[in-house]
Amino acid sequence: MKTAQRLLSDALIQEKVIEAIGKIFCDREPHAQELLTKALNSETDELARDILDDIIDNAALAREERLPLCQDTGLLVVFARLGVDVRLEICLRDTLEQAAAIAWQKYYMRDSIAPDPLRGQLDECEDIRSESDARLPIVLHLEQVPGDGLSLDLALKGGGAENMSALRMFNPSAKVEEIVEFVVDTVVNAGGRPCPPVIVGVGIGGDFELSAILAKRALFTDSDERGTCYRELEKDILRRINERGRGVMGLAGRNTALEVRILTAPCHIASLPVAVNLDCHAHRHIRVEI
Amino acid sequence: MKVRKLSLPFSSEMISSLIQGDKILLDGTLYTSRDLAHTRLVELMRAGQPSPIPLDEGALFYCGPSPVPPGKVCGAIGPTTSARMDRFTPFLLEHGLKVIIGKGDRSPEVCDAIRKHGAVYLVATGGISALLSRCVVSRETFLWPKLGAEAVYRYVVQDFPCYVAIV
Repeated sequence: MKTAQRLLSDALIQEKVIEAIGKIFCDREPHAQELLTKALNSETDELARDILDDIIDNAALAREERLPLCQDTGLLVVFARLGVDVRLEICLRDTLEQAAAIAWQKYYMRDSIAPDPLRGQLDECEDIRSESDARLPIVLHLEQVPGDGLSLDLALKGGGAENMSALRMFNPSAKVEEIVEFVVDTVVNAGGRPCPPVIVGVGIGGDFELSAILAKRALFTDSDERGTCYRELEKDILRRINERGRGVMGLAGRNTALEVRILTAPCHIASLPVAVNLDCHAHRHIRVEI
Repeated sequence: MKVRKLSLPFSSEMISSLIQGDKILLDGTLYTSRDLAHTRLVELMRAGQPSPIPLDEGALFYCGPSPVPPGKVCGAIGPTTSARMDRFTPFLLEHGLKVIIGKGDRSPEVCDAIRKHGAVYLVATGGISALLSRCVVSRETFLWPKLGAEAVYRYVVQDFPCYVAIV
């Protein structure tokens, strides 16, 4: 028996994605804004308070003037959950890349892509740049789910925070304490480079690449989606990061991280991969349900 | 935290009066330069040519701006991670660079070179582009426009907020 399929047009998906990018390029996710206000209220250091004031004020001004929160308008990262009863007109990647290209021009976002990762050092590979061309390979994680909906978690991910990511293949007999130290050291040693206060995504388990995907995926989650098992561990890691006192922009105060978010997956009996992915205070994340 | 309103270029006396943690509201000329522009700049200078950027006149700002929307003086601006430029910085300090603006820690070698040459490293807040763009009086493409966001742009700024990090 044939199941009824819901058609989601290329035009509809593009419209929703362009609208969503139009929200986050100039405004952070509301929960992150609340966490920053809480950080300001708890901060006693004068310099750190001065910076937090600017970070909070900037969002209001950016929203009002439709200016990017940050000149690094990031790379578009998408976690898509596509219902099995959905029919698409064209490949989802093509739709998303076209939407991104339009959004990048519409909102005057920065082309932050180096077409050749080795910057044209090899004679055979060119690395041609422009100020406003929209050449945007997006990062897409596509999963099929039951139902006839399409859920898109979108992020504009800046390079500074991404560069401070880390992944370690632990010995399976490693104590929790060793993992905690690894996460805390990764955040603290990053200093001001990832634009703290950061949100810390941690992926534990899976395999090499799944742990990294979990760490990034964790940045999109709220506490209900993460369950209760690791909640105390998240709080413990957060406390220990902030006790080390690198602070806002790595300069001062006690607010190095706003939240720690852990996602886990079962893993091979020989393995214990742990990945850490950071997000800057701009935290440009949004969910689109179609 | 002391707040000081200062104009570029900085004299040696002014730099030696700066204290780590001071807030500065900066007036003057900033030249943006990040990864690719640094590679080109240092290659040229190592080949014996003079620096096309007047290193002692303004500040070198590690920044890759976003495009300028119609009716605006500039697009979004802000600091990028300074550590990526560490490999070039001692050489540029030897050739007259005095004021650097970026974000994040520098290597011990760069910290030593900054102090040895009587220069200063200022940290600007990342992710406050809308606020920083308000400080821009004028903007022009200065060098290598084909590098897009990584080209060298010349900004004249007023009351640009930053903090003394290494002096």
